[in-house]
Amino acid sequence: MRGFFRWSGKWWPGVIPLTVLWGLAAWTTMGPLEADLSAQATAVLKDSVLDKTTISAAGRDITFSAEAFSEQERSNAVALVETVPGVRRVNDRTALVAEAKPFVWTIEREVGRVTLGGNAPLPVVRNKLLDAARATFTGIDIADRMDLKRGAPPRFEAAATLLIGETGKLKTGKATISDLAVSLTGMARELGGREAIAAALKNLPDGYSVDNDIHAPPYVFEANKDPVAGTLILTGYVPDNAIHAAIVASAGRKFGEKIIDKLKASLGAPSGFDAVVTRALRSLSRLSTGRLVVSDRSVDLSGDALYDPAGRQIRAGLPGDLPRGWEAKLEVSVKPSAGPVDPTVCQQLLSDLLEKRTVQFETGKATLDPDSIGLLDQLTETALRCPTATIEIVGHTDGDGDASFNQALSERRAQAVVDFMVKAGLPANRFRPIGYGSAQPIATNDTDEGKAKNRRIDFIVRQ
Amino acid sequence: MVYLAGFHWGWLVASLLLGLAMGWIAVVHRGREVSKSAARWLSVLVLALVVVALMHVVPGRFGYWLDLGLVMFGVYLVGCAVGSWLRDGVVSRQAASGGPTEHAGGTSDVLE
Repeated sequence: MRGFFRWSGKWWPGVIPLTVLWGLAAWTTMGPLEADLSAQATAVLKDSVLDKTTISAAGRDITFSAEAFSEQERSNAVALVETVPGVRRVNDRTALVAEAKPFVWTIEREVGRVTLGGNAPLPVVRNKLLDAARATFTGIDIADRMDLKRGAPPRFEAAATLLIGETGKLKTGKATISDLAVSLTGMARELGGREAIAAALKNLPDGYSVDNDIHAPPYVFEANKDPVAGTLILTGYVPDNAIHAAIVASAGRKFGEKIIDKLKASLGAPSGFDAVVTRALRSLSRLSTGRLVVSDRSVDLSGDALYDPAGRQIRAGLPGDLPRGWEAKLEVSVKPSAGPVDPTVCQQLLSDLLEKRTVQFETGKATLDPDSIGLLDQLTETALRCPTATIEIVGHTDGDGDASFNQALSERRAQAVVDFMVKAGLPANRFRPIGYGSAQPIATNDTDEGKAKNRRIDFIVRQ
Repeated sequence: MVYLAGFHWGWLVASLLLGLAMGWIAVVHRGREVSKSAARWLSVLVLALVVVALMHVVPGRFGYWLDLGLVMFGVYLVGCAVGSWLRDGVVSRQAASGGPTEHAGGTSDVLE
């Protein structure tokens, strides 16, 4: 042992080359050591959910800064870095991700660009939302402006994913989640888009409220009456097949023209659409030539009435019959009156009109069916062309029911037609209402078809 | 420490070899020794540095350099001790066999 003490007193000269070695070792190993420790620290954190992670090494000390989404995750991450072999000290600069109050997330659809903004709760959720946006908006630039924040409402991811899908139905617009309130604004790409989005938003997780301020392209229904071609062309949209059939059937009762049906079914009709269209078609049926456009809650009717009182009645009647919130724009003029004709031609013209259609009444009553008003206007216009003739207006019924009732009904129905003509400005003394009950059938009363032919009003022109 | 040894084994081996060589020479070296008081002070200094290193007082790269220096120095001392011990063994064997002695004050292998 004594020898050791004696020898150790002479070990000092080796310290000089050792110091040189030390200097060289320190100089050459520092960079690789720091890189190795940084890489190892990064590797152990690969499964940790952190934001804004930075790791830097100075010697064997690691400076670790990151934002964690919970206190447990934060402390776990620091502990993991501390376990890296070779690390001497960890400078903990970690913190919790800030909490957003309210937690707001947005998706904005512009032409050629979609921006996801606001807050997202976790990196994985952010990536999923971006993936969902890329899948929905293929070929469109997706901008990520989301910040990671704590405080997301429950089932945020499901709600946001649903909204991304629904934003795909917009031409332009914005969807926002603010805590549990969802709001949408903008313009739908297709007719009925607002309704389609409203229906889809019913699938939002429980607790979310919706403010849907989406607008859609105008819901347009159009009818063109062309007397030269003898057609009524229906174009545009109707809500569903049942209303489609009802509108076409209603037009068939009102118009003598051939109906060309180009209507398509689509969601998005304003409420009361079918009633308004049916009512407006009645006014169109009174025009010689005309065009009806129902666009959202606006009714646009233009054309020529057959005679002056009819024009006045249309202008006064249609706006008042529309439900609240609807507006009517009428450009109804009166067709120039045709020249007078002699009674024979007058009879021919009236017979032609009544050949295909007949004046209809409510069942068992003498009240004129509103669907017949177009035909009555045409009969009135013809009667105006033969001012010197006296016209017998003859009512007939089918064979059903009591003969005396049928007789009285036929007389009252003939009188109702006369009253219409008088109201249209024709002198009452030119008309003679006559009723024959069921005494003069023109077809069998054994079939419904035959009965329908027997229920009729005839116009007979006398000199 | 294991990490340091694994990462710097080359430098540690060099320190050890240096220590072995120095220890080997020191047995027959006739040069000046470090005085007892200086040795005591140096020991205190090294001990203080070890304490500082263990307490992680020195931050960052300086801390790393201190750790590295102390580890190399420790390995050097071990090398010196082993070297001196081996040389002492060799010298003792030669003396017992009546061969030329290598002890300090001998006639051969004198280093000054």
